[in-house]
Amino acid sequence: MSKSVTYQNVNKIYDEKGKNPVHALKDVSFTIEPGELFCLVGPSGCGKTTLLRATAGLETISSGKMFYGDVDISTIPPYRRNIGMVFQSFALYPHMTIFENVAYGLRVRKVPKDIVKKKVTEVMELVGLQEELKRNPSPTALSGGQQQRVAIARALVYDPDVLLLDEPLANLDAKLRRYMRAEIRRIQKQTNITTIFVTHDQEEAMAVGDRLAVLRKGVVEQIGTSDDLYSSPQNAFVSNFIGKMNFYNGSLVSVTDEFAEAKVDTTEITVRVPRSRVHLEDPSKGDIVLIGGRPEQLYISKEKSNNSIRGTVKIIQHLGSFVRYEIEMPPEISKINFEIDMDSLQKDVKEGDEIEVYMKEDKISLFSPDGREL
Amino acid sequence: MIKPTKTYSLSGTQEKSKLRRFFQKDLTQYIVFAIPMIFLAIFLLYPMASTLIRAFMAPTDDFSYSHFSLAGFKEFFTSNLYRKSLLNSFIVSLSVTGLCILIGVPMGYIVARVKIPGKKLILSLGILPIIMPSFVGAFTWIILLGRNGVIRYFLSHFLHINIPQIQGMFGMIFCMALTYYPFVFQLSYGAFASANSLLEESAMLMGARRGRIMRTITFPLILPSLGAAALLVFVRAIGNFGIPAVIGGSNYVLPTLIYFEFNGFMDINGASSIAVVNVAITAFVLWLQKYVVSRHEYETISATHTELKQHENKVVQILGFLFCLIVLILSLLPQFTIIIMSFFEKWTGILPEGFTWSNYTRIPRYSSHELFNSFYLSILATLLCAVLGSLVAYITERKKPKGAGLLDLSIMAPFILPGTVVSIALLSAFSGNSILRLTGTYTIIVISYMIRRTPYVYRSVAASLTQLNPSLEEASTIAGASWFYTFRRVSVPLIMPAIISGSILTLTTLLQELSTTILLYSGKTRTVPIQIYNAVQNGKLGQASALSVILLVVVFVIIYAMNHRKGGDMSSSFKM
Repeated sequence: MSKSVTYQNVNKIYDEKGKNPVHALKDVSFTIEPGELFCLVGPSGCGKTTLLRATAGLETISSGKMFYGDVDISTIPPYRRNIGMVFQSFALYPHMTIFENVAYGLRVRKVPKDIVKKKVTEVMELVGLQEELKRNPSPTALSGGQQQRVAIARALVYDPDVLLLDEPLANLDAKLRRYMRAEIRRIQKQTNITTIFVTHDQEEAMAVGDRLAVLRKGVVEQIGTSDDLYSSPQNAFVSNFIGKMNFYNGSLVSVTDEFAEAKVDTTEITVRVPRSRVHLEDPSKGDIVLIGGRPEQLYISKEKSNNSIRGTVKIIQHLGSFVRYEIEMPPEISKINFEIDMDSLQKDVKEGDEIEVYMKEDKISLFSPDGREL
Repeated sequence: MIKPTKTYSLSGTQEKSKLRRFFQKDLTQYIVFAIPMIFLAIFLLYPMASTLIRAFMAPTDDFSYSHFSLAGFKEFFTSNLYRKSLLNSFIVSLSVTGLCILIGVPMGYIVARVKIPGKKLILSLGILPIIMPSFVGAFTWIILLGRNGVIRYFLSHFLHINIPQIQGMFGMIFCMALTYYPFVFQLSYGAFASANSLLEESAMLMGARRGRIMRTITFPLILPSLGAAALLVFVRAIGNFGIPAVIGGSNYVLPTLIYFEFNGFMDINGASSIAVVNVAITAFVLWLQKYVVSRHEYETISATHTELKQHENKVVQILGFLFCLIVLILSLLPQFTIIIMSFFEKWTGILPEGFTWSNYTRIPRYSSHELFNSFYLSILATLLCAVLGSLVAYITERKKPKGAGLLDLSIMAPFILPGTVVSIALLSAFSGNSILRLTGTYTIIVISYMIRRTPYVYRSVAASLTQLNPSLEEASTIAGASWFYTFRRVSVPLIMPAIISGSILTLTTLLQELSTTILLYSGKTRTVPIQIYNAVQNGKLGQASALSVILLVVVFVIIYAMNHRKGGDMSSSFKM
């Protein structure tokens, strides 16, 4: 039933022969497993939507190949690919009832009437709209969340090989978005259709996807599960896109097969990092590096020591289960303010105070300094 | 911008796959798209080119490259009639544009911003003059203010005031202004009513007085719509045939001169020269407007819409209401006059004389063929316009082919071409020794109607397509539908309201079409407006009025039915 999706050196260049060619996808190669819920995530303009539309056949690719299972679909027109797609705007037909909207793909396939009815009823039950189907209103009479469900039902009803979701939650309000996230995951697991989910929201991607691909400027930066990406990001960009990463400027002082040791610029503070968390190509002594620690891998204290760096508290935000401190660091160490999460509110620390910043050394990673910006 | 890191040249295998890709594509759409293209090429581009070439030929109706000459244009320097017509055209169109602004802008402001009763009624009555045939207005003003006009008679016999009779330059300007002011009125009303009130309020909070706000905020913001409206009036005024023909007396303007040249001398080449001059002026003004407006175009930053403040000063209210009332009475007087006139034999004193039904009872005998022609030609042309306009709009909006701009230009061009020019173009291409001879046929009239009115449907559908999210169609493709299935089941139903409103506009304007038909009709293809025009020329005002009333009623019923159904406003359909 469900099929894998494989990309082989897919390139997309807009305006290829024009004056300003834009290389939207660069040598994209990876495979999505059958039945997987796969997220494409990245900042706007990273090529995620282009890749999705190319998968659908709505965009042609400049070179490379795409496969559903073993079948090369690179040149097959979209209407022969047997895919389902949910659009950001839902794209429901205002001139048809919700039944007709959902039945559309079956009508195209000339499915007999009684089977259409059965199929539509089944899929509407799956998305939880059996009551609405009885009234069968126009989609414009439904709420945003219900329209979303109709759009999903319409894409699923003809058992597509692949389901494509293009920022499907972007038009919903925050609360509904979180709920529909779980719903989409439930429906996908129940149908087991290979699904590609595009979003710019890393939190959404981590919550929904079995695996994620992080894209930047047309390049796949890293592929993995949410946990892979969060706990062992391969580069500074991914580390700061999937969750937050604070970077100290530093340099390597020694490299062995097991460890690398880095020193924070203008201080005597050094950290020893196991090679598994050293994300440098061919590290050698003297290399400039970024020493990265997540908000929960740093902490603040009033007490000064050899291992601390003095910063200034700019903003304190109480976020429920933890408290976030935004700290301005000396500019030679970091030009970007640090975010440090503490389990509880620190007594006697106020905005504007000077504070000591420490690392929890066992969690620190080293990155190459290029490609740090989002 | 991302530069390609390496070059991705197309290898041989990919060339092959491109070819395969082409054959796997749905070819229906190319076939469907080819039809309107061929139509436009044969019946629009070819005749226009032919006119342009003929304009440089010696005065005759032969098409021969050996006769190259500038004689047609020389006339503008040597002939008194030509020079005067050109001058008249300028005077008339410029004065009409000025007058329309003077009437329309204050009226738009009053209805949008002053608290007066009956705003909705004023808006819908204010659209009537452009829906009604303009030459009908002209001949009723002859009844009222002509040599033996009712009002003129009244003034000279009872008050001993002698006013000049209306035929001539003043009459043309007066009638056209009352016919075309609705464009300025409706567009400036729209601009005043939809302006963001926060912009004016913030100016007021910063200490600006009303006059200053008007000068520095309100007026600059409506300038683009005002420019568009003024252009629309100018283009219509310079192309109008009916009003100068009926009320111009011995004063010719370019469209009537074309008619004179063709009808009097059978000189297509000479008429082509005049047509080219006429179009050149229109094109220059169009360019001027685009040039001026493009430098004053503002993006409105929309925020939450708040209610506009209305003037509540009693004096402003009363003066404003009176102004609107006078304009409406003047512009609707012709409609009342012809209804009365249609029941009488003559009307030369204060009261009409000789009540009779015969103006109407004669219609079946004398006009049944003309009525049939009018309906047959208009309905057929409207249906074809609907198909052509929708297809071309779909192509330019959705497929965005390389020459989309050119396509847009060529389909919109007839919108600004005077009707007489379109006729001359078709005659120059399809008469005499041409391969395809169409003179005197129904076909040539239907084609001229299509060429002239397709822009209505085209604009209407194109506007609705830009608002339609392409993902609606993509969703259908994804679901497995072919191009044609998507077009039939998704695109067409969604743009249907736009097709219908464009078609209704087309139908109602075609039923009263005079300026194109007058050069193309034969005994067989005479229409009602032609018959009305001839009746006016022969002084049979009763017959002309009765036929006009029939036209008015038909047009009014169609428009009313549509507005009732969709509750939209018509004025937007007239925009360029």
